[in-house]
Amino acid sequence: MDGSSLKSAQLLELMHQHLATDAGKELTKKVGLVYQLNVAPKKIGVDEEIFVVDLKKGEVTKGPYQGKPDATFSFTDNDFLGIATGKTNPQIAFIRGAIKIKGSISAAQKFTPDIFPKPAKL
Amino acid sequence: MALRHLVTGQNNCAPDGASSSNPLNALANAFLGQSSKAQSIKELPGSVSVPSTSDFSAPAPLSNIPGSENEFKQEQRPIVQGAEFIHGGPANDWIGSFRPPMVPELGGLEAEFDRIYKNTGTTFQPPLDGPPQRVLSGVLHSFLTSGPSGVPFQPLPVPAALGLSESDKQCIRDRSCIMARHIFSDQPEEYIQAQVNTLLHSLDIDNRMRGPMHGQYPELEQYWNQSQSSMGPAPMHNAADKWITEFGKQNNNPENWANSFEQQYGPNGWASEFEQHQSQMAMGQMGGANMANLAAMEQSRMLAQTLASNNDPKFQLSQGADKWVSEFSSQHNPGALNENWVDEFSKLNVTDEWAEEFSGGGFGESSADPWVDEFQEHLSSFKQSSGTSRGVYVFSENNPYVGHPNPMQEGQELFRKGLLSEAVLALEAEVLKNPDNAEGWRLLGVTHAENDDDQQAIAAMMRALEANPTNLEVLLALGVSHTNELEQGEALRYLYRWLQNHPKYGGLVPPQSTDSPYGPDVVRLFNEAAQMSPEDASVHIVLGVLYNLSREYDKAIASFKTALQLKPHDYSLWNKLGATQANSIQSADAILAYQQALDLKPNYVRAWANMGISYANQGLYEDSIRYYVRAVAMNPKADNAWQYLRISLSNASRADMIAACDARNLDALQKEFPL
Repeated sequence: MDGSSLKSAQLLELMHQHLATDAGKELTKKVGLVYQLNVAPKKIGVDEEIFVVDLKKGEVTKGPYQGKPDATFSFTDNDFLGIATGKTNPQIAFIRGAIKIKGSISAAQKFTPDIFPKPAKL
Repeated sequence: MALRHLVTGQNNCAPDGASSSNPLNALANAFLGQSSKAQSIKELPGSVSVPSTSDFSAPAPLSNIPGSENEFKQEQRPIVQGAEFIHGGPANDWIGSFRPPMVPELGGLEAEFDRIYKNTGTTFQPPLDGPPQRVLSGVLHSFLTSGPSGVPFQPLPVPAALGLSESDKQCIRDRSCIMARHIFSDQPEEYIQAQVNTLLHSLDIDNRMRGPMHGQYPELEQYWNQSQSSMGPAPMHNAADKWITEFGKQNNNPENWANSFEQQYGPNGWASEFEQHQSQMAMGQMGGANMANLAAMEQSRMLAQTLASNNDPKFQLSQGADKWVSEFSSQHNPGALNENWVDEFSKLNVTDEWAEEFSGGGFGESSADPWVDEFQEHLSSFKQSSGTSRGVYVFSENNPYVGHPNPMQEGQELFRKGLLSEAVLALEAEVLKNPDNAEGWRLLGVTHAENDDDQQAIAAMMRALEANPTNLEVLLALGVSHTNELEQGEALRYLYRWLQNHPKYGGLVPPQSTDSPYGPDVVRLFNEAAQMSPEDASVHIVLGVLYNLSREYDKAIASFKTALQLKPHDYSLWNKLGATQANSIQSADAILAYQQALDLKPNYVRAWANMGISYANQGLYEDSIRYYVRAVAMNPKADNAWQYLRISLSNASRADMIAACDARNLDALQKEFPL
C-alpha cells in the first residue's frame, strides 16, 4: 500500500494487518464477502485508487479484483474515512450520492463501520 | 417604513401634478388605479398618442416576455402623469430618462418621446440580448451609474430567460436596496424605493416585503441613521476602512463589479462593488459594510433555515462541520469584520456537505444553477488548498473564565490537576486577552491533544507557531497531530522543521530548505542526530513518530522505548508507545502501555479512548464500551470517542443503549457501564 497519498490507504493498511489477527479471522467468518473500493482523492471517479477488501480470504490488496466482487463502492477519501470511523452513516451517504454502489445490495449493507479497526492516536 | 405605506397611504399629491414630485405615488397610482390612466392621458398637454400601450406590444423583444410586458406598460403610465410635473428637480431627470430601449421598431415613437420629455444626458444602455449574465450585469451596471450621473435608473424590459433563481432574486433584491441607499444618499426615501423597484421590475423580481426584508429594515434604518448622524469616525470606521482598502487592493478593475457579480454572489463580489464607489460614499461606507454583511448573513440564514426546515433526508444538516464556515470566511474575508459573521454562521450548523447535496446527489449529476457550481468549486478548492486539517480555532461560548484576572496561571493550574476541559476554557480566556501569548497557545494545543481533539490542537498550535515560529515543542506537537489525522505530508514537514530549527542539529540539515522533504532522508538525518547525542530523549521521540509515518513500527517501538528509559515518567510517551503498538496490531502490549500512562495521569482522555480502541479492535466490545464511556465522561466533546462508542454498542448487541448514546446521555451510560 505504499506510494499512496490517500488517508484511506493508511486505514486499509491497518485493516490488512488486522485481518491476520483472531478478531480479523472472526470477521471473515462473519462477513465472508469481497468488496472493491474505488477511492478518489477529491471527486468520485477522478484519479481513483482501487483496493480490494477480501473478507473471504482475509486480505487487503491494491488493484482491481480478479473476478467479480460482491459489491463495488466508489467514494472520496474523506467519505470513506467517515464511514470507517463511524462519522458518516453509509445509508445517508448513499442517499446523498456520496457513495456509488454496484453489485449486491445485501452485500453492500454489510459494509459498516464495525468491520474496520480504528487507528490509535499518538 | 414599509413600501406598503409609501405606496398606498398619504396620497398628498394630486394627480394633476400641482405639488412637487412624488414619483412613487405616481407609480402607485399606476399599479392601483389603472382606470385613471385614461383620465391622466387627457390631462397631458398637447396631443399625445404616445403612451398607448398597444404600440409597445408590437416590438418583438417586449411581446415575448410573459409577465414583464404588462409591467413595462405600467412603467410607462407614470410617465404620463409625470409629464405634468416635469418641473421638480429629480423628477425631471427621472422622468426624462424613462426612455424605451433602443429598439428599431420604436423609431418613430422615440422621436416623439424626445420631444415631450426632455431627456437630460445620456444613459447607459445595457445590452439586452446576449448571455443572461451579461444582460444582468449590464442592467445592474446601469443601475449603479445612474446614481453618480444623477440620472435615475430606467426600467428595462429584460428577457425573462435571465434565469434568476429565487436565491439570486433575493440576493439582488437585498443588495439593490442597500446599494440604492448609498448611491442615492442625497435623495429622499421614496426616491430610493422607486429606483429599487424599477430595477427589480426590470429583472422581474418580486419586491414583496418578505421575511428578510422586514427583519432587515429596522437594522438598516438604524445603521443608516448612525452613519448619517455621526460626525466623527464611527466605531467601525477603522475596521470597515481596512476591510475595504484590502478589497480595493485586490480588485482594481472598475469593471470588476459587473464581472464579479456574475461570478460570485458571495461577499467578495459585494465588497469589490464598494471599492468602486469608494470615492462617492464617505460616511455611508461604514454603515454599508455592516449592511452588506448583514445582508449576506440574512440571506444565508434564510437559505439555511429553509433547508433545515425541510424534512427530506437529503436536507439533513448534520452538525459538526462548522469548520467549513470558518474556513470559508477566513479565505474570503481577510479583513477584520469576519468575527461576528463566523460566529453567527457557525451557530447555523451548516455542513460542508450541504453544497454537495445541493449540486449533486439526489438532484442528479450537475446543477442547473451556476451559483451552486461556483460554490462547489470554491468548496473543493478549499479542500485542495487545505486538504489538511483546517487551522481555524473555534472558541467556546459562554466562557466563565473571561474576565478572570490571571487566566494563564489558572489554566496552568487546571492543567496540572488534570482538569483538561476546564483548562481549555481558562487558556482560551488567556489567549483572547493576549493573542500573542505563544505559551498560552501552546499549552492550549497540548491540552486539546490530551483531550483527544487533534483538530483544535492543530489550530491552537498554528497560532502558537505564529507567535513563536521556532518553538520545537510546537513543531513536534504539530507533527504528532498531523500524523494522527493521517496527513503524512504535513507531519513530515513539521518534523523536518523541528530538525532545522534545533540549535544543535540544525547544522545537519542541508542548506536548501525543501517544502516536501523526502521521508527516508529525514529519517537518516534524525539517526545522525541520535548518534550525536544519544542521551537526548526528544530526538528519539521524533524518530518514533517518523517511523510511525513510514510504518516501520518495530523501529518506532524501539525508539520510544529508548526515550522512555531516559524519561520514564512522561505519560505522553507511554501513550505514544501504546498507540504505536496498537497500530501494529500488538493490542495486548498496547493496553499495558496505556495503563502506565493512565497511572501517571488519570485524566488522560486520549489514553482512555485509545484503551477503548484496543479492546474494540480485539473484538472485546463490552470492555471497550466502558473505556469509551470513561473518555466521553471526561470530555463530552470527544466526538471520535462517541462515534466509536456507538459502534461498540451495536457490536455488543446493546442496541438499547444506542439511543442514550445518540442523546449523549452520560448519566445513563455511566450507570450502565461503570469501570
